[in-house]
Amino acid sequence: MSVHAWPLIAFTILAQMSVGMFVVLGIVHYFVVNKYSIAEADQMSSYALLAIGPALVLGLLASLIHLGTPYIAFLAVTNLATSWLSWEILLGVLFAILGGIFAIMQWRKIGSFALRNVVAWLAAIDGIGLVYVMSRIYRQPTIPSWNTTLTTISFYTTALLLGVVGVGAAFVAGYAYLKRQNPDCTQELCMVLQQTMRGISISAIVLLGVEFVVFPVYLSYLANSSATAAIAASMTGIFSPIFVTRLALAFLGAGLLAVYLYRTSLSAERVQVMGYVSYAVFGLVLISEVLGRFLFYASYISIGV
Amino acid sequence: MTKQYALYFDSSSCTGCKACQIACKDKNNLEVGVLWRRVYSVTGGDWVSTGNAWTSQAFAYELSISCNHCQDPLCVHVCPTTAMHKRDDGIVLVDASKCIGCKYCEWVCPYGAPQYDPSKGKMTKCNLCEDYLAEGGNPACVDACVMRALDFGELSELQAKYGTVDNIFPLPLGSTTQPALVITPHKDARRTQYESAKITNMEEI
Repeated sequence: MSVHAWPLIAFTILAQMSVGMFVVLGIVHYFVVNKYSIAEADQMSSYALLAIGPALVLGLLASLIHLGTPYIAFLAVTNLATSWLSWEILLGVLFAILGGIFAIMQWRKIGSFALRNVVAWLAAIDGIGLVYVMSRIYRQPTIPSWNTTLTTISFYTTALLLGVVGVGAAFVAGYAYLKRQNPDCTQELCMVLQQTMRGISISAIVLLGVEFVVFPVYLSYLANSSATAAIAASMTGIFSPIFVTRLALAFLGAGLLAVYLYRTSLSAERVQVMGYVSYAVFGLVLISEVLGRFLFYASYISIGV
Repeated sequence: MTKQYALYFDSSSCTGCKACQIACKDKNNLEVGVLWRRVYSVTGGDWVSTGNAWTSQAFAYELSISCNHCQDPLCVHVCPTTAMHKRDDGIVLVDASKCIGCKYCEWVCPYGAPQYDPSKGKMTKCNLCEDYLAEGGNPACVDACVMRALDFGELSELQAKYGTVDNIFPLPLGSTTQPALVITPHKDARRTQYESAKITNMEEI
């Protein structure tokens, strides 16, 4: 497994992060529109939106590296009748298209607010479906270590956690850019940023809690069956350095630093520090999730030979 | 009833000479590392202390496995391009023109049947020597076996002749994919149910 899985690690992480960021951005946008104005909300979210597209396209390109014959990759959507993998590619590409259309409509202000909303909803629903379909690919009766709803739960948790911290980092980057462009515009935006960051840090801590419930449940799931006991042993044996690092980084990023992020978001003087912390949280969580996905692929075991 | 070609393997008489595996490689001109038929050497048991003596209660047997052309083939279900397909006569084949080399079939197959060929960028697998069958012959592996441990035919006929065992260690229960496979177990195969056993030639597979 190991080396061959890297394109898939990149693809699944990037695609899930894109879906998570899109959904989280939608939620944040909704709150900002209600509390402030559409102008503020649009200003902030348009930069975050810019980060999602390339991440997804990069992920889709990475998935091509996994293929032996990438130039006929388009054929991958031709078995929708029985293959979850066909659905993954269909929904993945559709998400890219819908998200791209929405982003262009949003930037150029094409169509009414309501119409753009419809496109955004379609993209979000597609994305949520995509994460589910991705998880179903791995839930196969001959692969006991993956054949559990925990696979689906952990994929959604990854999507949301990366989405939350990704939007945080993107907002900070967008805010820094806006501030350079026009130093006067920062007052309201600064408040939007701070408030968003509070929501983001709390969400990250909650999602970390979910992950820390899922880990032990998954380990005991593996340990409790003779078919997968060897995998549980490898997670606490040969892979334990990676496993421990993954947990430590998640705790550091989405736990300790998220608390610090919340505290820095309370005062306007510390916006700069808050920005750095937000980047750090994103970096740590991203590495942690990549390691987690590596372990997921490393946990492959067949019921046969 | 629809046609379902199947393979028979007699574990009680196989010596593990691998003539089947080599005949397969030769006939199908397979790259190094690509094995459409694999011979697994299984060993188990231990030396047991009885009084002042140590007695060997170790056991060993061989298992020659290709593709079982399953009646409910998971590889066919998961293939995103329908390159992996099941023919009317039961043979599971890869249509190379459609295969994108995603290796998903390799993951899900519990028999190690789909064998990826990096030089082609395609998944390859046992085709039961369909060209030989068309001429009324047998698969190359069956004819190459010096111990007459392999046989080929219609699944129902093989079952009538040899019984309905379709799994011994380390194969999974047949209920998952309904393999078109009939096995005469080695006498010690049942010991794997309560004694530790392992495949000892993993580097050959």
